[in-house]
Amino acid sequence: MNIIYMILLKIINIILKLFGKQGGNIIGKIAVKLNPNMLAYFKINSPVIAVTATNGKTSTNNCIGYTLEKAGYKVVSNKEGNNMETGILSTLVKNATITGKIKADYITFEVDESYVPKIFKTIKLDTLVVLDFFRDQLDRNGEVETLILKINEFLKTYKGNLVLNADDPNVARLGKANPDNKKVYYYRVQKYEYATTGMKEAGEGKFCPFCKTRLEYEYYQYSHIGKFHCPNCDYGNNEIYKEAKNINLKDRTFEVEGITYKIQDNSIYTIYNYLAVLSVMNLYHIDTEDIIKAFSEFALNNGRLEKLDIKGIPTIINLAKNPTGANVSLRLLREDNEEKELLFVLNDNVADGFDVSWIWDINFDGLKENGVTRIITAGKRPYDIAIRIKTSGFDYEKIIPCENLDKAVEELYKTNTKKYVIANYTSLQPTRQAIFRLRG
Amino acid sequence: MKELKILYLYPDMLELYGDYGNIQVLKYRMEKRNITCKIDQYSIGDAAPDFSSYDIVFAGGGADNEQSILAEDLVKYKENIKQAIQNGVFFLLICGAYQLFGKYYKGVEGNIIPGLEIFPYYTEAILDRKKRCIGNIVLEVELENNKPTKVIGFENHGGQTFNSLSHFGKVLYGNGNSFGNSEEGFFIGNVIATYLHGPLLSKNPEVSDYIIKYCLERKYGEKVELEVLDDTFELKCREQMLKRLIK
Repeated sequence: MNIIYMILLKIINIILKLFGKQGGNIIGKIAVKLNPNMLAYFKINSPVIAVTATNGKTSTNNCIGYTLEKAGYKVVSNKEGNNMETGILSTLVKNATITGKIKADYITFEVDESYVPKIFKTIKLDTLVVLDFFRDQLDRNGEVETLILKINEFLKTYKGNLVLNADDPNVARLGKANPDNKKVYYYRVQKYEYATTGMKEAGEGKFCPFCKTRLEYEYYQYSHIGKFHCPNCDYGNNEIYKEAKNINLKDRTFEVEGITYKIQDNSIYTIYNYLAVLSVMNLYHIDTEDIIKAFSEFALNNGRLEKLDIKGIPTIINLAKNPTGANVSLRLLREDNEEKELLFVLNDNVADGFDVSWIWDINFDGLKENGVTRIITAGKRPYDIAIRIKTSGFDYEKIIPCENLDKAVEELYKTNTKKYVIANYTSLQPTRQAIFRLRG
Repeated sequence: MKELKILYLYPDMLELYGDYGNIQVLKYRMEKRNITCKIDQYSIGDAAPDFSSYDIVFAGGGADNEQSILAEDLVKYKENIKQAIQNGVFFLLICGAYQLFGKYYKGVEGNIIPGLEIFPYYTEAILDRKKRCIGNIVLEVELENNKPTKVIGFENHGGQTFNSLSHFGKVLYGNGNSFGNSEEGFFIGNVIATYLHGPLLSKNPEVSDYIIKYCLERKYGEKVELEVLDDTFELKCREQMLKRLIK
């Protein structure tokens, strides 16, 4: 029966393509309707690598795929970021023969945090990468602790490679889920220029997950990411597999084991993601030259630190779905000495979460002092974000809320000052399109 | 220059839903009127605060885990807090803090977290963990006699609170103290206890100014007319939300 389903799904895929549609989750949605256990149909003989996290899944998964392809391998991946069961099914259907065989050297997935157990109960996972856990859409996802416990439960019987961010106490704890699994690899980034001794932005892991003692930090890189340890039970003292040092955001370089890597981005959080990719590449013995080359070229250009030139005005667009996403974007803006204007687009559609109170966890302090001369707000909740920014002390006469996105973009480009654009989940692509429309 | 002092309880533990924004809004609205706003913080391990020496005491909502840890700590100050409330100190209590000031919180497994027992209400977790009162909410609130105003916020709670006796507002849109309830929160002149996040004060300048005015009049013993601020963003925001939620 499954073979008939596959033929049917393939035909639907061809029809969708004829109409110029990517498909997204549609194929997967139909597949689950036909057979709720469709995942089990696929015969996968190549290593499966998965990336999960609150922030950074799409970029990291794409970078893993890009680097493997640079090294000459055939990769199947859910590049567009459809990361729930239906998205993964869509990717598999599109890349499988009708008998369910996947021809690839590697399969890489980004996976929504809550779907990890379900998907990899069926599909054999070779490497799991966990980047970070932050508060994210509380009205949809609930508390972050619930998600962590879910993944921890899955890991208790997992025996594959586990690549973990040693500087996130919510992530590093997962390394202890299965004491029999020796294949746990921690990566870390040494203190960067703007690291602080106190927490600057809302964060999660304040207490030791094992003994509830308050964690001590040598420094914070951003949010709760930093060098921590538990003064009571010594949690945090892990053997490090890969460590980045000499972080130079200006030159966009960092160093690991004596080798300098150049990247396109200049943000601390993406360096963490590159370290995750580097760890994976080393586990699969990918040639260093290929990694260096791939890292120097990789750029997602999909509203993730996307750099554009709009009528000669430099513009940086970044997605921010949660406080940490917005905070790292604002960090970038503060670390840039030039004068700039900000466009903040905030929607409250189903996929964003209806609750916009997370914007109060964004640190907007000192924008004027850091060279921000004007702020435009837009999206379905332009006034909420305007109130938030006003309350932080930024002169409200220099905040312009616009209910219409095209008007907001038009307003933004009335001056020649450099632009930073921060947009949340469902507002990101409409914002990019509005900017592209203006560019003509 | 006039000054108001705020005590911010458990800032590192009750900080889940951006409720700290309430303090930022109060501070903003005070400073715009040349009133100094002094904020002290208290959390587990700090020296015991004297609640009566403050004008405003604030506590917000937190994760379940943290809430049970601090319930034990807070009970130590029961008498001190009671005294402060009697003295007229203003208490703004959101979500988890609202619950903690009642009789008790009964968890899903039937476990009882004792509250401060200062107010008559009690809270019971709904048995189905997946069911919560979540969404935008609009109340009609009477802050001062015969002056009803609409209060807009966001509720997100599994706990169902009963026996409020003196509610904060009538529910025009959303749930309230429990599923489909017509009442929300608890309110007596110097205490607002409510489930409303948003943060509450960000979209409701009238509530902010009620608190500031109350505190100034209490502290300085004179009638106060607050200077009018430019609330264009707030008014537009309210207009947009009310249009969306209430026909």
